[in-house]
Amino acid sequence: MPEPKLRVDAVMSDIERDVRSRLRRHLIKRGGAAEYHDEELFELVRATLARAVEERNLDAMLLPELLDTDVEWRLQSHLSLSSHRPVAGRFILFFKRRVLLPLTRWLFEYSQDNFRRQDHLNRVLFACIEELALENARLRRDVAHAGTRRPT
Amino acid sequence: MKLACVVHRYGADIAGGSEGHCRLVAEHLAARHDVTVLTTTARDHITWANHYPAGESSIGGVRVLRFPVVRQRHIHRFMDLSDLVFADRGSRDDEEQWFRENGPDAPGLIDYLRQQGAAFDRVLFWAYRYANSYFGLPLVADRAVLVPTAEEDPLIHVDAVGPLFAQPRGFLFLTPEEETLVSMRAAPGRPSQVIGCGLDPASGPADLSPLDGLGLTDPFVVYVGRVDPNKGCQALMRHFQRYAEHGRAVQLVMAGPASMPIPSHPSIKALGFVSDAVREALLTRARALVMPSPFESLSMVLLEAWNRGLPALVNARCKVLRGQVTRADGGLYYGNTTEFSAALDYLLDRPDAARALGGQGLAYVDREYRWPVVMEKIERVLAQTG
Repeated sequence: MPEPKLRVDAVMSDIERDVRSRLRRHLIKRGGAAEYHDEELFELVRATLARAVEERNLDAMLLPELLDTDVEWRLQSHLSLSSHRPVAGRFILFFKRRVLLPLTRWLFEYSQDNFRRQDHLNRVLFACIEELALENARLRRDVAHAGTRRPT
Repeated sequence: MKLACVVHRYGADIAGGSEGHCRLVAEHLAARHDVTVLTTTARDHITWANHYPAGESSIGGVRVLRFPVVRQRHIHRFMDLSDLVFADRGSRDDEEQWFRENGPDAPGLIDYLRQQGAAFDRVLFWAYRYANSYFGLPLVADRAVLVPTAEEDPLIHVDAVGPLFAQPRGFLFLTPEEETLVSMRAAPGRPSQVIGCGLDPASGPADLSPLDGLGLTDPFVVYVGRVDPNKGCQALMRHFQRYAEHGRAVQLVMAGPASMPIPSHPSIKALGFVSDAVREALLTRARALVMPSPFESLSMVLLEAWNRGLPALVNARCKVLRGQVTRADGGLYYGNTTEFSAALDYLLDRPDAARALGGQGLAYVDREYRWPVVMEKIERVLAQTG
């Protein structure tokens, strides 16, 4: 008789439950939100944030579109060199490209790496805000519907 | 049929995923068809510097035509352009320029396709991200079959990719996840198959003697592949160092050439490039394979590990890896350090369960990834794209 199959989903479900429980205890021990004593509430908060981090498409969000005003707010991690001087500009650009940039390349790359991390973090925060806004909108709609259905 | 296989690099000494996949498929196709590989003279996947002689040669019984690369990749310019294009701030010209900068820039190959492409019944292209596919495929679109090897990285969302995916007559995908990713942008109704990659059954118990003198201590888990931040290795070593802080006696063995510094840690052993014999022995004696890559279109190493009955621990953020492990019931996955530690504890503390997962992985390979199964699917697409 073949051995019963060991299901990855079932094993992972046990592991994830254990990890969540450890995480909750850890946060309580470190003085995290008092609400986390309530296991059910903690799970609701964790699931909301996890949805934002793991499931949202960070390239398609509403908040960055709304922010897209006259003021440039995006981190620019690529470098573009230019000069407004019509004659000397060519020489200045040559100097920047061939002398200054190679000499400061290490600093540029270090900054660029950190800008990329910050950019990613910003997008994750946008996703968290969007998830909370969605949750809020759903709840408001449910409350409104419940109000209209209330017997008189 | 007269078939052409177009790929950016080709050679028995090239370890890259799509290049290795192309070579294996081309060699198996050559048993039934007249196959010519069209490729470049490059070996280095960063610079595309010319290495092999241009012209005709034969590798593994397959005719190979190599075309010289006229311009090496300027990595800084390429990275700057990537930032622009991936942030969706580039123009259509910038996007097309991205493919040029990515290279390899081998105009001879493109000219050959333009002039001789019609002489082939089918032209198979590997890896949509390279210049030879982007600029070459439209020249023979009426007979083109694309093996996209697409990953869920920012390139897949770039606008210029849509028209490219609309052109081939058929597709060969590596996983169902890749099929989903590409099909959203491909023309509907085009013949396609999820083929993965073929493997021969492991030839008996591996010889463990190549591991002697390498300084390995039991138990160990192994990573096999390029040691590179893009492959998730930085995160893996961070997770593992945190895990080792709790005093667990287990070694992480990194087997592959490194393109990043590897921390000096008593529980991390870096072997550098390893021979096939060492690789086989590692996959036999390790307690688990760790695959931290966030982007994969198919993990060949994962299939090789299962071929040896080894369970896997993979990055859950990579849909392909997670999907493979779940379909096979052949290992566990993690999304953060705590899950990594808990899953590794499970595999180390329950050897019977770990063995069962590895055995289920092997059964999955037997079912899905043996060469007769894979070739039958490829032949079906070749027949349907006529």
